[in-house]
Amino acid sequence: MKHALYAGVALAVCMTSPYASAGQLTTWVIDGDSEKSYFTQLEETFNAKYGTEGITVDVVPIPSYNEAIQAATLSGDLPDVIMLDGPNMASAAWAGTIQPIGDILDPEILEDLLPAVKAQGTYGPDQQLYFVSPYDSGTILWGNTALLEKAGVRIPTSVEDAWTREEMRDALEKLAALPEVEWPLDVKMHYGAGEWMTYGFAPFAQSNGGDIIDRETWIADDTINSRSNIETLTELQNWNKNGWIVPASAGDNKFYGEKTAALSWVGNWMWPAHRESLGDDLVLIPPPAFGEAGPISANGSWGWAVPASSTNLEDIKVFLNYAMSGEQVAAYADITGYVPSRASAIPLSKTYREGGAGEIFAKLAECCGVVRPVHPAYPVITNAWATAVVNILSGDVDVKTELDRAAQTIDQDIADNDGYPPFGQ
Amino acid sequence: MLLPALFFITVLIIGPFLLSVWFSFTDQRLVPRPIPTKFIGTTNYERMFADPLFWQAIWNTVFFAVIVTPVQLSMSLGAALILNSAVPFRGFFRSVAILPLLLPMTVIVSIWAVLFRIPSGPFNAVYQWFAGQGNYVDFLGNPSVAMLSIVALSAWATFPYQMLIYLAGLQEIPQDLYEAAKLDGARAWHRFRYVTWPGLRNVNIFLLIITTVGALKLFTQVDILTKGGPNGATTTIIHYLFKRGYANQKVGYASAVAVFFFLAVTAIALFQRRVLKNEGEA
Repeated sequence: MKHALYAGVALAVCMTSPYASAGQLTTWVIDGDSEKSYFTQLEETFNAKYGTEGITVDVVPIPSYNEAIQAATLSGDLPDVIMLDGPNMASAAWAGTIQPIGDILDPEILEDLLPAVKAQGTYGPDQQLYFVSPYDSGTILWGNTALLEKAGVRIPTSVEDAWTREEMRDALEKLAALPEVEWPLDVKMHYGAGEWMTYGFAPFAQSNGGDIIDRETWIADDTINSRSNIETLTELQNWNKNGWIVPASAGDNKFYGEKTAALSWVGNWMWPAHRESLGDDLVLIPPPAFGEAGPISANGSWGWAVPASSTNLEDIKVFLNYAMSGEQVAAYADITGYVPSRASAIPLSKTYREGGAGEIFAKLAECCGVVRPVHPAYPVITNAWATAVVNILSGDVDVKTELDRAAQTIDQDIADNDGYPPFGQ
Repeated sequence: MLLPALFFITVLIIGPFLLSVWFSFTDQRLVPRPIPTKFIGTTNYERMFADPLFWQAIWNTVFFAVIVTPVQLSMSLGAALILNSAVPFRGFFRSVAILPLLLPMTVIVSIWAVLFRIPSGPFNAVYQWFAGQGNYVDFLGNPSVAMLSIVALSAWATFPYQMLIYLAGLQEIPQDLYEAAKLDGARAWHRFRYVTWPGLRNVNIFLLIITTVGALKLFTQVDILTKGGPNGATTTIIHYLFKRGYANQKVGYASAVAVFFFLAVTAIALFQRRVLKNEGEA
């Protein structure tokens, strides 16, 4: 009996939330190499500025972030402020884990947010903002000028003259013929069947007029397995069959290390590695126009959210507005290499302002970013699509069968949850 | 004295199992949600048995266990026999042989990922030596080779554990049996066949069961290297369960898979135990 008693006491101690004292905020952030120095800076400058007013923040990087958040949600131990991956916001808002933050952010910040960033943080049913990010990301075609010129391929310089699907196919064919090229296009197949497959491949589908779910009815059937998606993925599957796509087991560095791939379709996080290795040969090419909708770039980011359990809103308001201030947003971009999420911060950034090396990323974020579906079923939607894409790109499977299966998985999940009310009503 | 043990077994093993039996008849989700969890009868089981990917996962898991168990046990026994004989520097080799056990599986897998690289990873370099420049095997990307690659990696990574147990078993066999056999003119093979092999019966039964059960639980290697691909060629039951429970957040469905898996593994282990015991008694 004594043991049971001790266990009970231990449990009770564990369940007492340590994040309750006034003026002292705790926030959990992702534990990434490129973000680390930003967060250190955020904590130091915030505490220096507001410590005298009695508000301090403890910014804690958490490894295995998503699992930690899930566990803390279940046990009721979430800190005052958390970070979330944008597409998971709807799931958390629907579950009631996080609360709206539109009222505690300064209006000038709200007005200044890039449209796609705002769309990412806005929850459909109540049109409130639950999530805000200091940055945006994007995908682009990175090219090796030396190889492209040798193959005699036209290099597009702006969104308006992006390659069409036929031009890109033609370019890959010419590049594949070069003796020094092994597989011409790296699309990061080795990232595996995770978020990248949605983030990186939905833009091809959207560019050709497709999508992964109908955003009005929230039904996947006839959208994810639409004729245009079948066409898009069959095209990509053919590229793979032709030996034009770097296989998963070939690793990360075919484009920037061994330079046996001439093009790489990946996000801005690879910029430092690409720049360092290719130097002046590196060229940023806008995403290809797979169809009528023109070039589409991926979009999305990790950002701030406030758990429903947080009560210290006055102090949280001070912290969030500081973290989203022009200088902090610019600092995030300069330190991590991501695109600033506030329109007014873009001209301040050396990289992304007009004439800067990353100007095209900022342009894409403004013109051509399509937010991933803001729906509580997103974890299932992305998983079904990612599985289909990886299967289609790893062999000779029937594209329609794979997409039909994805449609069935998504629609079944939505039905199982009674349509995730109030969605679909 | 029994009470603490009973308490922990109930709280940590029996309780969770009963809970997952209950969950398997509901639509329980991983994270809380605003609509209540419902009792849905056998729906999870019906869907599971109707899912081709589930059957593919079963087939892959059985295939893996059937191949890896004899391969790994042969490696372990072979290594144990060598290290039990009078090889020079025996102590040194015994220490070297257990090195894979000291590395976490995740580290081993990351190293093997490099070895499996195409087109010019170390394994392919060897392959090209025989097959000529420009040829390579996509060890993890080719559906017909991927599972065999994982067999090779898994057998290497964990064989020293069984080897240690074999080594202990070998040392239990009385030396005078070998001496008597020698006097009777038995050669090495006969000494192995009629002295060593019967002497290892209990060790064999134990190792066969734990190796099979371990093989049926295959997950880490698959999750890091192939994520169940290409095209489901390396999906295992546990990986399937993990994807349903975490990625899709369907704890109810994943519980149904877990209950099925538990019953299947228990049945296999009991069957093995029974068959092997009967042979021993005959």
